[in-house]
Amino acid sequence: MDGPDVGWYLIVAAILFGIGALGVMLRRSPLIVLLSLEIMLNAANLTLVAFARQQGNLDGQIFALAVMAVAAAEVAIGLGLIVAMARRRVPLDVDQASALRG
Amino acid sequence: MIAGAWVCLLSPLAGAVAITVAGGRISRSTAAWISVLTTFVAFAGALVAFFGLWAADPADREQVSTAYTWLASGDIEVQLQILLDTLSSTLMLIVSGVGGLIVWYSMGYMKGDEQERRYFAYMSLFVFSMLMLVEAGNFLLMLVGWGLVGLASYLLIGFWHHKPEAVAAAKKAFVMNAIGDATFALALVLLIWATGTVEFGDVFDQVDSLSSTTVNLVALGLLGGALAKSAQIPLHTWLPDAMEGPTPVSALIHAATMVTAGVYLLVRASPIFEAAPDVQHLAAILGAITLLVAGVIALVQWDIKRVIAYSTMSQIGYMFLGAGVGAYGYAIFHLMTHAFFKALLFMTAGLVIHHLEGEQDIRKMGGLKSVMPRTHVAFAVGGLALMGIPIFSGFWSKDGIVSAAFSSGDALGYTLAAAGLVGALLTGLYTTRLYFAVWRGAQSDLVKEHAHEGHGEGPRSMTIPVGVLTVLATIGGLVVIPGVWEPFLHWIDETAEPLVQATVAEDYALSAVAVLLALLGFFLARHAFEKGRQFVTNPGIWRVLERKLYFDEAYDALFYRPAAALSVALRRNVEEPVVERSLDEIGSGAIQVGGEVGRVQSGLLRTYAIAVAFAVSVLIIVFVAVR
Repeated sequence: MDGPDVGWYLIVAAILFGIGALGVMLRRSPLIVLLSLEIMLNAANLTLVAFARQQGNLDGQIFALAVMAVAAAEVAIGLGLIVAMARRRVPLDVDQASALRG
Repeated sequence: MIAGAWVCLLSPLAGAVAITVAGGRISRSTAAWISVLTTFVAFAGALVAFFGLWAADPADREQVSTAYTWLASGDIEVQLQILLDTLSSTLMLIVSGVGGLIVWYSMGYMKGDEQERRYFAYMSLFVFSMLMLVEAGNFLLMLVGWGLVGLASYLLIGFWHHKPEAVAAAKKAFVMNAIGDATFALALVLLIWATGTVEFGDVFDQVDSLSSTTVNLVALGLLGGALAKSAQIPLHTWLPDAMEGPTPVSALIHAATMVTAGVYLLVRASPIFEAAPDVQHLAAILGAITLLVAGVIALVQWDIKRVIAYSTMSQIGYMFLGAGVGAYGYAIFHLMTHAFFKALLFMTAGLVIHHLEGEQDIRKMGGLKSVMPRTHVAFAVGGLALMGIPIFSGFWSKDGIVSAAFSSGDALGYTLAAAGLVGALLTGLYTTRLYFAVWRGAQSDLVKEHAHEGHGEGPRSMTIPVGVLTVLATIGGLVVIPGVWEPFLHWIDETAEPLVQATVAEDYALSAVAVLLALLGFFLARHAFEKGRQFVTNPGIWRVLERKLYFDEAYDALFYRPAAALSVALRRNVEEPVVERSLDEIGSGAIQVGGEVGRVQSGLLRTYAIAVAFAVSVLIIVFVAVR
C-alpha cells in the first residue's frame, strides 16, 4: 500500500481534534465555537478514512460521507441560530447565553 | 324450571342496566314501565321455577345450576351458581311478586318527581340484589346479594338527597348494615378456613365435624349479619330513620323483603345454627326482646310511617323467635304473610300521605274514613292481619310461632311464648291506636282542606296493587290451617326440617289466647281513643319511649364520641407534629440540596465542554492504564 503509515494520519487527526476541542473550550464567539466543532468532526472523519484505507474497504469512507451530511445539517441549524441571535441583538458571546444556570 | 330461576334473577338486572344506559333518551314513564315489566317478568320466571319444582319428584327438589367458576384461589373454587329449592323458590315468588306490585304502585306515587328514572333504576337494582340473595347457591354469592341490597337500600333511603335527614338516615343505615356485613364476612372467612368451601351443601355436610368453638363463632357472625339486616336489637336503630325514603321504598325494602333477609339467613343456614344451639337461642331471645321493645315504642310514636316501622321490627322479632326455636316453616310463613300485610299497610299509608300531600303526623289526621273509604278498608284489613285476627293472614302465621315456642317445652320456650303473647297485646294496642287516629273521629283541619280536591283516592296504578295485596293479606294465610291443611309448612320442611312441632291442641289454645289479647288491646285502645287519652301517661316514661329508649344517645356516647375524641387527639398529637412536620422537613431538605447542587449548572457552555473533555481524558487514561 502506498502513502504514509496510518499512524501519521492519526497524529494529524489528533492535532486537529485538539485544536477543535481547545477552540470549543476557550473561544467565546458562537461562530468560532461552531467552526471548532466542525474541525473536531473532520478530525474524526480523517481517522475514519485513514482506517478505511488501512483496512482496504469502503465502509469508513461511506461513514465519513454520512458524518459530512450530518455536519452540514448541524451547521445550517447552528448558523441559523447565530443569525437569529444577531437579529434579536443578543450579544454574540456564549458566556452570556447562560439561561440554563441552576 | 332452572331457566325460570335464571330469568327471574337476570330480568331486573337487565331493567336496571337498560334504564341507566338509556338515561335521558327515554321518558320518565318509559323508565317506570321498564322497571315494572322486568319485575313482573322476574315473577313469571319465579312462577315457572316454582311450579316446575312443584311438579318434580320430591327427591329432585334441590337443584343447583352453575354458570361458571367465578373465583378460583388455591383449593377454593367459588362458582357463580344458583340454588333452586323449596325455600328459595318461595322467597323468589314473594320478592318478585310483592316487588312487582310495589314497583307498579311507585309509578303513581313517584309521578312528577324530577328523578323518576334514577328511582326506578335503583328499584330494579334492589329487586335484582334481593333475588341474588335468595337464589345464591353459596355463602359468598349470598354475601354479594347481602351487600348489594344494603347499597340499594342506602341509595333509596337517601333518594331525596336534598333533605339532610334523608342523607343522615341513609348513612346510618349503611353503617349499621356494614357492621352486620363485616361479621357475616368474618364468619365466611372462618368457614373457608375450617371447611375450605362456601357451598351450602358442602358446608352443611361438614358442620358436625367442626369444633364447637368454630361453629359457635361462625353462627355468631352470621347472626350479626342477620341482626343488622333485619333491624333487630342491638343493631336496629337504622330502621325507623330509614322511613325518610319514599313510602314505596319503605314498603318494599323496609317491610316486605330486605329486612326479612335475616330470617331467610337463619333458615337457610339452619344446620349451622342447630350445631350451635346457644347462638340459635340467642337469636330467639333477641327476637323476643325486639318484638317487645319495638311494640312498646310504637305506642308513643306520632309519625304514621314510624309506627308501622316499629311494628315491622316487632313482627321480624316474631320471625327471629320462630327461626330461633327451630320453627322454620312458621318463620318463613310469617315472613310471607308479613310481606303481604305490611306492604299493604305501608302502601295505604302512602295513599294517605299522597292524599295529604306529604303530611305524616297522625295528630294532624283523623276522620279520613269518609274521605277515602276504599283505602280505609285496605288499611283495616292490613291492621286486622297484623293483629292476628282469625281468617286474616297474620293469624295463621304469628300464632304458629308462639305455639311452636311453647311446645319446645322448657323454661326458655315458655318465656318466649309469653313474650309472643304480650307482643300480641302490644300489637293490638298500637295498631288500633294508629287506626283510630288516622281514620276515625272528627275530620281534622288538614283532612278538610284536602277533602274536596277531586283526585280521589289515588291513581289506578296505586289502587290496583293495593287491592291485590288486600286480597292476599286476607286469604294469604289459608295455606296453613293447623291440623287440617299444611302444604306450606311441608313445602318448607323439605329444605329445613323443623325442630319443634306444636300439637294441634296447643296451637288452637295459644291462638285463642293470642286473639283474646289482641282483642283486649283493641278495646283498650278504642276506649283510650274515645276518652282522648294516650296509653302512657307518665311524662318521664313517655319521654324515654319517645327517645326510643336512648339507644341512639347510648351509641353516640359509647362509640361515636370516643372515636371522635380519639381522632381529634391523633390529629393533634400525631398527624400534625409527626406526619405533617416530617413531610415539611423532607420538602425543605430537598429544596436545600437542590440549591447547593444547582450551582454546578453554571449555564456556561465552555465550562460544560471542559468538563466533558476532562472526563473523557480521565476515562481514556484509566482505560489505557488498566489495559
